[in-house]
Amino acid sequence: MANVSVAAEWQLLGDRYYRKPDLYHPLRWKHIDLSRNKVACAPFGGPIALIRDDSKIVQLYAESALRKLRIFNSAGVPLSETIWKNPGGRLIGLSWTDDQTLVCIVQDGTVYRYTSHAELLEPNFSILGQEYLDENVVECVFWGNGVVCVTDACKVFSIADFKSKNPRPLRLADPAPEGIEELPHCVAVIEPQYTMSGNVEVLLAIGDGVVMVEEDEVQPLPLPPGDGPLQKMVVSGDGRFVASFTHDGRMAVYSTRLEKIFEYECESALPPEQLAWCGLDSVLLYWDDMLLMVGPSDEPVRYLYDEPIVLIPECDGVRILSNSSIEFLQLVPNSTVSIFKIGSTSPAALLYDALDHFDRRSAKADENLRLIRSSLSEAVEACVDAAGHEFDVSRQRTLLRAASYGQAFCSNFHRDRIQEMCKTLRVLNAVRSPEIGIPLSIQQYKLLTPSVLIGRLINAHQHLLALRISDYLGMNQEVVIMHWACSKITASLAIPDATLLEILLDKLKLCKGISYAAVAAHADKNGRRKLAAMLVEHEPRSSKQVPLLLSIGEEDTALIKATESGDTDLVYLVLFHILQKRQPLEFFGMIQARTLARDLFINYARCYKHEFLKDFFLSTGQLQEVAFLLWKESWELGKNPMASKGSPLHGPRIKLTEKAQSLFAETKEHTFESKAAEEHAKLLRIQHELEVTTKQAIFVDSSISDTIRTCIVLGNHRAAMKVKTEFKVSEKRWYWLKIFALATIRDWEALEKFSKEKRPPIGYRPFVEACIEADEKGESLKYIPKLTDPRERAESYARIGMAKEAADAASQAKDGELLGRLKLTFAQNAAASSIFDTLRDRLGVS
Amino acid sequence: MAQIPNLDNASLNLTSLREQSQKELINILKNIRGKKCLIIDPKLGGSLSSIIQTSLLKEHGVELRHLSAEPIQSDCTKVVFLVRSKIDLMKFICSNVHNDISKGLQREYHVYFVPRRAVVCEKVLEDEKVHQLMTIGEYPLYVVPLDEDVLSFELDLAYKESQVDGDTSSLWHIAKAIHKLEMVVPEINTLILLDREVDMVTPMCSQLTYEGLIDEFLHINNGSVELDASIMGVQQEGKKIKVPLNSSDKLFKEIRDLNFEVVVQILRQKATSMKQDYTEMTTTTQTVSELKDFVKKLNSLPEITRHINLAQHLSTFTSKPSFLGQLDMEHTIVEAQSYDICYEYIEEMIHKQEPLVNVLRLLILFSVTNSGLPKKHFDYLRRELLHSYGFEHMATLNNLEKAGLLKKQETKSNWLTIKRALQLVVDDTDTANPNDIAYVFSGYAPLSIRLIQHAVRSGWRPIEEILKLLPGPHSETKRGRFSSSPSFDTLQGASANIDRAADGRRSLVLVVFIGGVTFAEISALRFLTAQEGMAYDMIIGTTKIVSGHNLAETFVEKLG
Repeated sequence: MANVSVAAEWQLLGDRYYRKPDLYHPLRWKHIDLSRNKVACAPFGGPIALIRDDSKIVQLYAESALRKLRIFNSAGVPLSETIWKNPGGRLIGLSWTDDQTLVCIVQDGTVYRYTSHAELLEPNFSILGQEYLDENVVECVFWGNGVVCVTDACKVFSIADFKSKNPRPLRLADPAPEGIEELPHCVAVIEPQYTMSGNVEVLLAIGDGVVMVEEDEVQPLPLPPGDGPLQKMVVSGDGRFVASFTHDGRMAVYSTRLEKIFEYECESALPPEQLAWCGLDSVLLYWDDMLLMVGPSDEPVRYLYDEPIVLIPECDGVRILSNSSIEFLQLVPNSTVSIFKIGSTSPAALLYDALDHFDRRSAKADENLRLIRSSLSEAVEACVDAAGHEFDVSRQRTLLRAASYGQAFCSNFHRDRIQEMCKTLRVLNAVRSPEIGIPLSIQQYKLLTPSVLIGRLINAHQHLLALRISDYLGMNQEVVIMHWACSKITASLAIPDATLLEILLDKLKLCKGISYAAVAAHADKNGRRKLAAMLVEHEPRSSKQVPLLLSIGEEDTALIKATESGDTDLVYLVLFHILQKRQPLEFFGMIQARTLARDLFINYARCYKHEFLKDFFLSTGQLQEVAFLLWKESWELGKNPMASKGSPLHGPRIKLTEKAQSLFAETKEHTFESKAAEEHAKLLRIQHELEVTTKQAIFVDSSISDTIRTCIVLGNHRAAMKVKTEFKVSEKRWYWLKIFALATIRDWEALEKFSKEKRPPIGYRPFVEACIEADEKGESLKYIPKLTDPRERAESYARIGMAKEAADAASQAKDGELLGRLKLTFAQNAAASSIFDTLRDRLGVS
Repeated sequence: MAQIPNLDNASLNLTSLREQSQKELINILKNIRGKKCLIIDPKLGGSLSSIIQTSLLKEHGVELRHLSAEPIQSDCTKVVFLVRSKIDLMKFICSNVHNDISKGLQREYHVYFVPRRAVVCEKVLEDEKVHQLMTIGEYPLYVVPLDEDVLSFELDLAYKESQVDGDTSSLWHIAKAIHKLEMVVPEINTLILLDREVDMVTPMCSQLTYEGLIDEFLHINNGSVELDASIMGVQQEGKKIKVPLNSSDKLFKEIRDLNFEVVVQILRQKATSMKQDYTEMTTTTQTVSELKDFVKKLNSLPEITRHINLAQHLSTFTSKPSFLGQLDMEHTIVEAQSYDICYEYIEEMIHKQEPLVNVLRLLILFSVTNSGLPKKHFDYLRRELLHSYGFEHMATLNNLEKAGLLKKQETKSNWLTIKRALQLVVDDTDTANPNDIAYVFSGYAPLSIRLIQHAVRSGWRPIEEILKLLPGPHSETKRGRFSSSPSFDTLQGASANIDRAADGRRSLVLVVFIGGVTFAEISALRFLTAQEGMAYDMIIGTTKIVSGHNLAETFVEKLG
């Protein structure tokens, strides 16, 4: 039976089964001997970096003496290589960060960083502080995105985050007192995410004990007597336990505060070459040809290897890399155990068996199903789960078929579950293919998340697969297409702009809302300004398009686009940019014909750049605008307190106004303004004279009408008359002004005289109004009878409360509406009211 | 009663809109720890008063000041400027900072722009070398709910800026505000945008609704009006009090949109019946339930008193012959039958040096309805204006001309045609039981609202010819609910096909007035909405609530 052969490959450790399926066998690489190399393998099925180990004496066969840094995917497919000729001494540490940057630390503390394409990431920097440059790095321990180094003077340095733009080395506290430079036997690190302080904690086995070093604190940790000195230490994946190898050949597991939890006596007192956690349940020790797996029970599992191996810890197991293969050592998942364990009668096992019968058209299939009817959904779930944990595609398929078969008889099982699992497995199988070489387990995949996986695929330039996966999973394809477009630009130096644009647009249009501006910016960075300009043309968001157009020097287009967007803020952005880069005249020329840009510039300049604005108007021949500015200046001079004190400043004011006048006169359309400016200058002169003769500073800046009124109020009728003639003030206006002025000073005699000078050109109504407003009934009565319009007479009488006279006048006007209104006015007065009623009756209006 | 309007009865969830704005402001203040001096640009202060209570600001350690040219005296080490992104306000900020520097005061400066940062403002701060001293942020206040059905974008200079200065920033803000509204209140399914330019006649006429008249004479500011305490029957010499005016006041809600004549009658009736009840109460024996009713009525007594006081105060203005004369003249101009009478009336106003803004209102009305004045009259009146009010008003005239509100006549006026076709003058208006929107101006139906009335009743198509006679282009666009690319078809469908909500509820129309709306127009719209057979609820968005007075005032600018 097939089931038996599956379980036959398992090993029992305590009460739990472990398995070690091949991920890739054989590997695609040729002639690789791990023992000759320093090796760094990235977790989550990441790439493998190899470089000849310069601390070992090895025989060079036909190869060059120059060392090469070579990078492979997990299936051994070469990805990239580069010649290693970095100065700084021996390579001490080599490891991949979370974002798959290869970090190499050499003896003198210099840190070199490479991409997975073996491209050096500038700048290099030193992990040692300025004053420790003569020390040597002897040991490096890496975690996620950080590293801890120990120097030969036993100083400890750390970099907490390689991802940051400027990774900053930090010196931690000295583990040993001043002067004692005993080197640690081994070093381990508790990642910042698992410590109380949020900073890295370093465990160093020094002498017979262990000290814990932090940024500014050293803390000796008591070790159970007889355990020290420790030869090897490694912290578990969850940061809670430390596995170690004691000087006398025991493997001990401690808490991070070094309380012993478990120990196992090994046959050899020689420390293992490698010590690693396998998940959280067991520890692996590797000597020369033997891999020992120790679990919480007494009896360990032994594997023999006749070639060197490298242990690569993962969250759910350990990958074992050898010269010829890569395997995955993991705890067999519970679902898998329940199906394949020899003699298992679990519902899942029966379901799996039922499928087998069904395929062979055996009636036993039905019998099996009936047996497990009550727990069918549980069985289906186990098959789905087990399928997820399989690396073997045909076994995945069989398990899923079993699940699907069971589900047909199972009403309460969530259908989507199988579909989801199929989706996940399709993705996993796709990335596990040797060409891609990312052998993720389902658990790793879930921890890594699909979006990070896609990020890794695009970094590996597997854009097509990344695009398909993100499409398949319903994720936004923007990142993929964006990265593709940028990579394409970088890689296509030889393709002409127009052709490349076509190629890019063809793909970019797949994704709505993608930032063409970002792609264009990349093109510009790659020195393809013309391509950038063509790309940015397609950016629909002006707020992104315009700044980019400016940065690639397309100022004209930027101005057009900003204007079209209707966003004045963008227009200003462009304006100030151009203003800074160009000569004023050139700038003026650019904005002259562009209404919005021009108007906005004028608004800005009007507030803060008066002279500059004048230059603009002059250069563009808008003389009337210059005239306005000059005229405005003349007023501002007037506001200056110095101006009111003495006469001298009136001179400049008048001059400015006259200058404005002559500028207005340059164009035919501004005759009105020209005339007004001329009159204004004349007015200023007259007002100035008036202030001198009257010794009262009350004239300047009042209007012509006000000046006339002031003169009359002051009794200076000759001056008033002079102003009237100078400015050709009409008789009508003159009468209003004089009447009101005389009423203001209550010179009723003069008013009456004035009324008799000649027949007033505007009749007697102004006289009546002036008197009534001054509350002089008696005076008004002199003029009311002279009103020619009976309606006006009626209303005037009404306003001074003479109901009968009002009524008479109204009836003379034969105006019913007026009578009604007047009645309302007199509503309180019963007698008056009745007068109106009688009259209205007589007029026949209701 | 609070000045912040109660929005619970609104057809939209405006409360959440307001709460969001409150929260955003509080967060800004919270993030600047400790005691701080908050310097607000005064206009913005007005807008904020309809959003948040001053006491709430003080709770967050705020010392509140108004921005002006005068340097602020405060011992706070943290200063927060909250300003609209206006170029001219920057000089006040700069002078404040320069003043501190000259005194050797070191403070932490924060500038928050409303509703967003502006390159030009920051450029000025850079030019003045204070930019590097400040932390710059923005407070995205795009919409302020003024009432259950009125939203303001608080852009009081929108019309002048875009028509005179060519600065169209406000249009961008309006677009953004509408977009924001769409997010918060997705129920809106039709949007009518109306440029104030289309109808400058209406705002220049004196509003005759109760609320409109209060605004004309007493100037409503952000939902309240400030009055001498004595007017409201409070005997305190010289003291001013603020009277809030919004729908939270039940009586006001009932009478705000009515013609003032009617309001006076209603108030009189209410007062009389109250008095009668009181007499009955004191002279005859009452059952308990009758007593209860009476007490209930008594509760509305403060409201009745408040509005009687207000109405009484208003009638001192409305009974003036000058006001009646002005009303008469407005109607004569709108009638457009007696050019000479109007011309002479305005000439006389100028000669009498009546308040400039009053003159400008009539002059604008006159010029707009005649599509400008004959050159001779145009030049003559401008000259008389300069002579009477001073040459500095050359700038005012220039502004009006640029905005096309006072100009030389170049074409024949279309006003008569428009007036007749849209029946803008309605002779027999019964203000007490109106059957047409014309009641808000006692006989003149506001052009703006008439257009909307046609649009919602039968679509734009039937009045297409008239629309062509009005200033500016017109267009209609339909958009699928989720389509990101609107299909743009000019004048395609009539709004008769505006989908009526399937469940029988009225669908919601947002009417946006770009350049401002008057209270009278709002009243007219409410009147339309209240009509039987109306398929829509309407809410109003506006750049600002305006009156002819403050609209004309925005154009007044002195050269000096």
